[in-house]
Amino acid sequence: MAIPIAVPRLGWSTEEALFTGWLKEDGAPVRAGEPLYVLETDKASQEVECLDAGTLNILAGGPKAGDKVLVGALIGYLLQPGEVVPSSAPLVVSAREGKPAPAVVATFAAPEPERSRIAISPRALRIAAELGVDWTRIEGSGRDGRIVERDVRAALERGGKPGAGSVRRVIAERLSRSARTTVPVTLVTTADASPLAGIRRRLKESDGPDAPGYTDLVVKLVAEALCRHPALNARWEGDGVVLQEGIHIGVAVDTEAGLLVPVIRNVPELTVRQVAAASRDLAARARRRALRPEEMQGGTFTVSNLGAFAIDAFTPVINLPECAVLGMGRIERRPVAEGDAIVIREQLTLSLTFDHRIVDGAPAARFLGELAALIRGPGAALGL
Amino acid sequence: MQATLEALTEEMARDPAIFVLGEGIGKRGGNFRTTAGLYERYGPLRLCDTPICERGFVGLACGAAMAGARPVVDFMFVDFVLDALGEIFNQIAKVQYMSGGRLRMPVLLRGCIGVGHSAATHHSGSYHPLFAHIPGLRVAVPSNPADAKGLLRHALRGHDPVVFLEHRELLGVKGPVPEGDWEIPFGRAAVVRPGKDVTVVALSLMVRHALAACAALEKEGISVELIDPRTVAPLDVDTVLASVRKTGRLLIVDEAFGPFGLGSEIAAQVAERGLDQLDAPIRRLHGAHAPTPYSPPLEAAVAPTAKTVERAIRDLLED
Repeated sequence: MAIPIAVPRLGWSTEEALFTGWLKEDGAPVRAGEPLYVLETDKASQEVECLDAGTLNILAGGPKAGDKVLVGALIGYLLQPGEVVPSSAPLVVSAREGKPAPAVVATFAAPEPERSRIAISPRALRIAAELGVDWTRIEGSGRDGRIVERDVRAALERGGKPGAGSVRRVIAERLSRSARTTVPVTLVTTADASPLAGIRRRLKESDGPDAPGYTDLVVKLVAEALCRHPALNARWEGDGVVLQEGIHIGVAVDTEAGLLVPVIRNVPELTVRQVAAASRDLAARARRRALRPEEMQGGTFTVSNLGAFAIDAFTPVINLPECAVLGMGRIERRPVAEGDAIVIREQLTLSLTFDHRIVDGAPAARFLGELAALIRGPGAALGL
Repeated sequence: MQATLEALTEEMARDPAIFVLGEGIGKRGGNFRTTAGLYERYGPLRLCDTPICERGFVGLACGAAMAGARPVVDFMFVDFVLDALGEIFNQIAKVQYMSGGRLRMPVLLRGCIGVGHSAATHHSGSYHPLFAHIPGLRVAVPSNPADAKGLLRHALRGHDPVVFLEHRELLGVKGPVPEGDWEIPFGRAAVVRPGKDVTVVALSLMVRHALAACAALEKEGISVELIDPRTVAPLDVDTVLASVRKTGRLLIVDEAFGPFGLGSEIAAQVAERGLDQLDAPIRRLHGAHAPTPYSPPLEAAVAPTAKTVERAIRDLLED
């Protein structure tokens, strides 16, 4: 292997030296121990001995008499018979004094710009994760600006005020990413929710205040519809569609800090009452800001209910990376034509926004139709 | 001092196998009055004055313990025990292990530690980290009369060799001492005072300094939880961890030298087991890593004081 010749460190604090000339010609045979070239530091001029034997190969563009060279810089090779200079031999010299510096010295990595790393105490890091606080935007009050526990807690309190909090920023980022990257299409239909209203009334009578609400019933029916139309239980990941195995449904919760979407896991395996209990617990903790981050991740579909605000239809925004989101409107008694008669029915408007990249309009419409049918006749789907 | 004397007197009455070895512990009653009145009560057979030959009488104690006695070796200053380290580390600490537990080694090695009274470097050492480093030794370092009595009694009733170290500046301290069969098991730290802002672990005389610092800081609403490990081996880190879980900040105060010391050990264990409880770097306050000077002003500068403890707590709260 070709033996590199590098500028040695001649003194404890020497970083560079003046190259005053080679003592051997390019191509000359050199024995170990022979003087090879002369370096001058601020202290003295010194002949540098060769440590190995070989044929001297002075790098083209290498230092000339009067050049400054950096310690460690490669200035030539000792070659054994049959060897050639490695092809990527780097150029090494620093500038002749007074001249602008050429692009120099591969043996020294260019100093990286100082990374601005945010310091945070391990405790603050843990608490930020537990409370779902985005600590990367917090200013630290510890020594040298380290973020400590009190900063995270203070940020959480500030987050409670509209417009100032980290929750708002996270929402803003996520929604704009959704708007930027998805191709949303919204389908609207109206379903006859009279049977559902009847079930709800009976549940209220039997279960009291903890009875499953309309959202819980619809979540359960959505899960059933997703089982039958798995194309909507999918995500866009990287550059392709990935169907999801589990059905985990996020439920939008309005909190003081902003919209949060905790996720109910494995909905098909839960009874309606279990869905209601999980949903009640998640929503309560969402309002207290006591959700763990993982409880707001991993959803495969989202349900958002604006019925309480007398909204009928709207265009919900897809909760990335999910494929679709269902908007529930109010349930209202309306006159409906049944045959040739006009009857009063409980009507529920459904708005389904889906990502056209993942699924086309027809399958999405079939899913929504299935859901409307399930609402009209829940049958066994609710297991009640 | 009176508290440990009570415990020793009562235990000698209870257990005839206990006898005391040391320089000036017979008629004289001990240089620090650690055996005052015992010679009159138990006679020269059980209070053996020795010549100045630490290695010799420590070896003797080891043999006596192997033969079933319970020797108490009184060194006055723990600095002198260093002459007998070979016997202690190589024999006393290992005999139970080497005999597969057939031989017991209930040797109590006691002496004074600590900086003060211009005692200079041969009479100011605090070597508990050295002993705690060696498997097979138990090390008790009490901070008040009640603990001293309870720990000494526990030492006199166990099977293991115990190094019992009292700070010389604590010997005259008065405090309530429970009467009767008062015993404190090893390896249980005391929460000297509860607090919520910062945890301070202090040993021996440093507990008193820390208490003074806590009182000063309390006036400003700074709430310090003070923990006294009481024994260094075994060391109760669980109590420290439980406190750090509350406060997130930890300062360890020990008069002994810092390198490889009590602070390092507690800091390492807390970092291993409770890293994400820490809101600030763990701080240590130790005696200066230097021979203790004779000069009173220099001596005052090498050991932690209530003032420097207070400063260290303030500094930690800034982190």
